[in-house]
Amino acid sequence: MMDTILSINNISKRYGKIQAVSNLSLEVNRGQVFGLLGPNGSGKTTTLSVILDLIKANSGTFQWFGQAPSKESRKRIGSVIESPNFFPYLSPVINLKIVADIKDHGYDDIDRVLNLTGLYDRRNTRFKTFSFGMKQRLAVASALLGNPDVLILDEPTNGLDPQGIAHIRELILLIASQGTTIIIASHLLDEVQKICSHVAVLSKGKKLFDGKVSEVLAISDSYELSAENIEQLTMIVRTHPSFSSVTPGIEKIQVYFKEIVNPEEINLFFFKQGVILTHLSERKRSLEQHFLELLDQNK
Amino acid sequence: MIKLLKIEYKKILTYKIFWILTGLYFLFLSLGLLMSEFMINNMVDNMNRRLPIPLPHVTIYFFPWVWQNITFFATIRYVLIFPAIVIIILITNEFTFKTIRQNVINGMSKAEFLISKLMLILLISIVVTVLLTAGTIIIGVSHTSDLTLALVLEKSSFMLGFFITMLTFQVYALFFGFILRNTGLSIALFTLYVFIVEPILYYFLKSPIVFKNDISPYLPVNAVLRVTEYPAIQVLKNIMGLNLQNSISFAVCSLPVFYAALMVGIVYWVLVKRDL
Repeated sequence: MMDTILSINNISKRYGKIQAVSNLSLEVNRGQVFGLLGPNGSGKTTTLSVILDLIKANSGTFQWFGQAPSKESRKRIGSVIESPNFFPYLSPVINLKIVADIKDHGYDDIDRVLNLTGLYDRRNTRFKTFSFGMKQRLAVASALLGNPDVLILDEPTNGLDPQGIAHIRELILLIASQGTTIIIASHLLDEVQKICSHVAVLSKGKKLFDGKVSEVLAISDSYELSAENIEQLTMIVRTHPSFSSVTPGIEKIQVYFKEIVNPEEINLFFFKQGVILTHLSERKRSLEQHFLELLDQNK
Repeated sequence: MIKLLKIEYKKILTYKIFWILTGLYFLFLSLGLLMSEFMINNMVDNMNRRLPIPLPHVTIYFFPWVWQNITFFATIRYVLIFPAIVIIILITNEFTFKTIRQNVINGMSKAEFLISKLMLILLISIVVTVLLTAGTIIIGVSHTSDLTLALVLEKSSFMLGFFITMLTFQVYALFFGFILRNTGLSIALFTLYVFIVEPILYYFLKSPIVFKNDISPYLPVNAVLRVTEYPAIQVLKNIMGLNLQNSISFAVCSLPVFYAALMVGIVYWVLVKRDL
């Protein structure tokens, strides 16, 4: 049985003339690393702000842990939304103590999260002296405080240097491996591809697509083919029942199918027609291509 | 409740601006209180130069009138503005640093956030009232010759008036902070209202041309200042024909409390309605 952590039902939010989120429905289950993928302004942060009670949706509902949202459910969620928000004149330790107080935790977890994010040595320096990367890491530390059931990260690697990005990603994978459900908003496909198990693609506040990242990557809708007689090959491929289109070439042709066709089937198809393939390679559609196609379709 | 105060305590503990302003407030307050007798007598001396029969010097630090005199000088606009500005800074900081957002994300309700600021105001008012009570007793004891407990306690209810003034005036400041959310703007508009807008309104409303009945006592800041309206100084009474307050009146106290409660209600409503 699936254990539903978050369910969003038909949420819409409008800012004046701009429809930031429209009729969004989502479900996030326990243990998933769920990516909210979309370009800037696609409604990712608005969606996260709604489910964290920062802003009120115009319509729609959402449930955390199968219950109506409350401050108690928020105490079980660790979040980093947009910028790291801390008191600049307080040290990380005091800032984290405030977070612990609000969440009804003790202070014994503070050293652990500071160590995890590499900020332990700077624990008593004021927040305003931190570099952006350190501020972002403190935000992650604060989200991790007290081992929350769910971690929400909004563009967690934004503005970080490559080393910082690698560090944060490792940390996210580590936390995910411990079974924590993670929701990540990102405009970086690469990031979602590397970290997430599930993904929902947003554009202009609408959900275009959602599913397992592995399934999205498994979709193979084109093949590169080659044979002795390219012209004959091109003619015959058009008779395949799932044929969609072909890009001719001198050495190889690229064939698109309307549905998933496995390589074995293709090989057999041509063999029966008396054509021996000299080259057969599956062209996997990457999340990026898929994403751009989906965006194109919705223009 | 204790938890919310613990959080507020952490927010101000190492905040320099808070301690600098608080220090300035106490400095200003103590200097003002210790200098007020001298300044009044200076005024008397100046007047005496033009008067055929010289007025006697005043003393304001003896029991039981010291309660009334000290609470009057401790609640003039120039002194009250300090804790009000502190409150505005502490509240608007939360919007500037977006820490109110983070507090809510972490599991604080908007109502709890408002309550935590009200608790802070309550605590500041209690602390200042206790300190001023101690100071008044010291000043009073050293300026009163025939000391009895009854004499000391006689007008001590003025301290309650002081407490109400502190509390309600800071709630007014809280109102500006929560509604405007911007530090500079809130301080500027609050100061402008207290020192310029309301005094102008006051004279405007006081003149019988505008309204038949004088509604100037209903102005919010004036309502607060009327809690401890005049110092008990015989000279003032004689010259200006003032009717001295004898005690703190429940009716006078209830008006600023009503305004403060109304403002807290509006702030709560706006806070719940508005996106963070």
